[in-house]
Amino acid sequence: MRKLFISVMFVVFVLLVNMSLVSADHHEWWADAAAPYAGATIRGVSESTPPSNYVADVLAAQFTELTGINVEFETTSWDQMYSKAINDMEANTGIYDFVYIEQDIIYSYLAQEYLVNLTQFAADNPDLAYEGYDESAFTSFADYFKNADGDLFGVPMEAFVKVYLYRKDLFEDPDIMAAFEEAYGYPLAPAENFDQYRDNAEFFTAYGESMDMDLWGTTVQGTTGHPASTYEFLESIGPSFGLYNWGINLDAGSAMSANGGALDGDTAVEALTFWLSMLPFAPPEATSSTWDEVASSFAAGRAAQGWVYGENAAWIATDESRSAVTGNVGVRLPVTAPGVIEAAKMGEGYIGYYDGGAFGVPHSSRNKEATLLWLQFIGQSSVQAEWAAAGARITHTATFDDPLIAEQDAKVDGYYTLLEEQGPLFAGAPPFPFHAQVREVIDPFIQRAILGELSPADALSQAAMAVDEELSRLGYGM
Amino acid sequence: MRNNPRIGWLLLSPTLLILLVFGFVPFLYVLFVGFNEWNIFAAEEGLRFSGLDNYRRLVFDEDFTTSVQLTLKFATFAILSELILGFLLAQMLTRKFPGKWFFRIIHTFPLMVAPIAVGAIWRLLVIPGFGPVPFFLDRWFDIKYQIGSYPDQALWTSVIMDVWHWTPFVTLTMLAGLSSIPREPVEQAKVDGANRLQVFWYVTLPFLRPVLLTTVFIRIMDAIRTVDEVWMLAGGGPGTRFTGIYIWRVVFPRTDYGYGSSISLITLYLTIVLCWLLFIAISGRRKGEVE
Repeated sequence: MRKLFISVMFVVFVLLVNMSLVSADHHEWWADAAAPYAGATIRGVSESTPPSNYVADVLAAQFTELTGINVEFETTSWDQMYSKAINDMEANTGIYDFVYIEQDIIYSYLAQEYLVNLTQFAADNPDLAYEGYDESAFTSFADYFKNADGDLFGVPMEAFVKVYLYRKDLFEDPDIMAAFEEAYGYPLAPAENFDQYRDNAEFFTAYGESMDMDLWGTTVQGTTGHPASTYEFLESIGPSFGLYNWGINLDAGSAMSANGGALDGDTAVEALTFWLSMLPFAPPEATSSTWDEVASSFAAGRAAQGWVYGENAAWIATDESRSAVTGNVGVRLPVTAPGVIEAAKMGEGYIGYYDGGAFGVPHSSRNKEATLLWLQFIGQSSVQAEWAAAGARITHTATFDDPLIAEQDAKVDGYYTLLEEQGPLFAGAPPFPFHAQVREVIDPFIQRAILGELSPADALSQAAMAVDEELSRLGYGM
Repeated sequence: MRNNPRIGWLLLSPTLLILLVFGFVPFLYVLFVGFNEWNIFAAEEGLRFSGLDNYRRLVFDEDFTTSVQLTLKFATFAILSELILGFLLAQMLTRKFPGKWFFRIIHTFPLMVAPIAVGAIWRLLVIPGFGPVPFFLDRWFDIKYQIGSYPDQALWTSVIMDVWHWTPFVTLTMLAGLSSIPREPVEQAKVDGANRLQVFWYVTLPFLRPVLLTTVFIRIMDAIRTVDEVWMLAGGGPGTRFTGIYIWRVVFPRTDYGYGSSISLITLYLTIVLCWLLFIAISGRRKGEVE
């Protein structure tokens, strides 16, 4: 027994020594590789999101300590982030060394050749290639940031799906369950179809009113002053009804049903009608809510259920300093129309939005080498688990199996498992090189529909016509 | 040396050079771009000469015409309110009252706040669900106040926000104007039996006209190009999609530089015309009086 104990202790000792040597080796590698750039400052810009804030607060400092390279990282609003990045890259000013590339804008950036081919750049600079960084470790989400040759143009830093969140404390309350069943004739449960979703929304809105609580039946990302409402409709609600690719037929260069598009079709009208019918059951801030406010409303306990970006799931479920519903968050797939999940499983559609982004290096960057080191640092496996736990994002396949994530998964009602197992049912934005241009054209019609100035059919009919005009103007139309 | 024009031009040259490089050259560039189709995300790269197409397009652009109407409505109500309030406050500040020094400091505070911060402050005040304004309006008066749902409420909130921000500026300029009015004409008018309204109309106002004109011009130019605080408040949704915000949307997210340039120039033209009409209206009346 004593011999066994000594043997075990010896093995542990050897492992620890080995690990510390490996760690020291790695530290040495970073210091050596970064030596020519020590003291340099690389600048980046991103949207202020939980994963980005983790980069700013934690990873940047770790990298600077390891390499001596300073990282100045702006986390700003979504609009400003795009403005700053595109202006910098277009004017070739070189202000930013790395920029956030949201999945939906990558096609525009690649078409404009704004970004450095990271695979090629690393191959051209073998002294800067870190062995702990492996492009094959990324989930298939990284494919969005690759060209036809499989070369990577952005290191994925966040990837998540927009899920259906609900409050378990309400849905599992015996009194509430009984009241619901009495009113609707069937048991209260997280919604699995749109009728059930509507009933839940109506019930909890009435319940909140009767109990004098600040509680409503659903979230709606229905801002009339921001593109977020268009995104919720086109990327979450539309696909769950079977409206794909924003209803735009890229081959035909049209959004109109008459020309092969679907933006003004029956499915789109049905989806918009349903979504707008949820507004009376949403908190009063719904028409001023972007994705941030939706997460805040849900975290404040003001909605019983809703469509919430997964990057917020972890903090809503676990961070008591910011959320009033910790420990009571249920996570499910978003509601879909009949046949939509089956189509998604066969690869003929998708049920919702697989969102995320990467950091890329603009050609205008003046510190490409130092930035390559930085991107490899954030892309290595060892930093992924804690980042994933803090930001509810996963970009490495192996992160799903990390004990820290398994522990966090239980607290977030299996969100990470859902992301791993059901993630393929979701999809990113369609590969349009004119993403923001066309969305800007659609925005006013969706906003006027939210205000009730246009019927869903009129709004989508006019939007489809406007999209066709814009596509024609941009040279992608009929 | 004092009468040597060369030295005058020499001293002016740095300013003229800066104006030329940063003012006139960009203006010419915008003028040039306005005659072209140019969107960096178009299938065909670079500028394509399109003549007056952009200008023809904006005539039929409902979003643009609506934004002009909204901007004029916003500017009219905001500036009129600021002038009336500013004049009354300036009148008040010419008199003695307890705590005058304190009020004078406090009332200029909004001027020191950056427009984007003004927008953020007001957004926090009026956002439904979190802001105190909708909460108390609902609780005390049963008024549903949701700037995201009611475009009129968004517009009037923008007007009130602008009045809060810029009335102190008008007060200060009016105060300077009132302080410079000689006492004799006022006293003479009173001796002649003029009442307070007649003193204001026939003595104070004519003396204030240059200050008034300058203040109105500055405020018109500011109001027409308002972007940051309104964008922060309501994001430029229906009710607050003013011309400045519309231009921002066309130029930045939509990257339609050619069309954005043409709208910018037309907006500049409208601003100049508006100021010119006001100048004629105000100075013309004075000319009539002299005659």
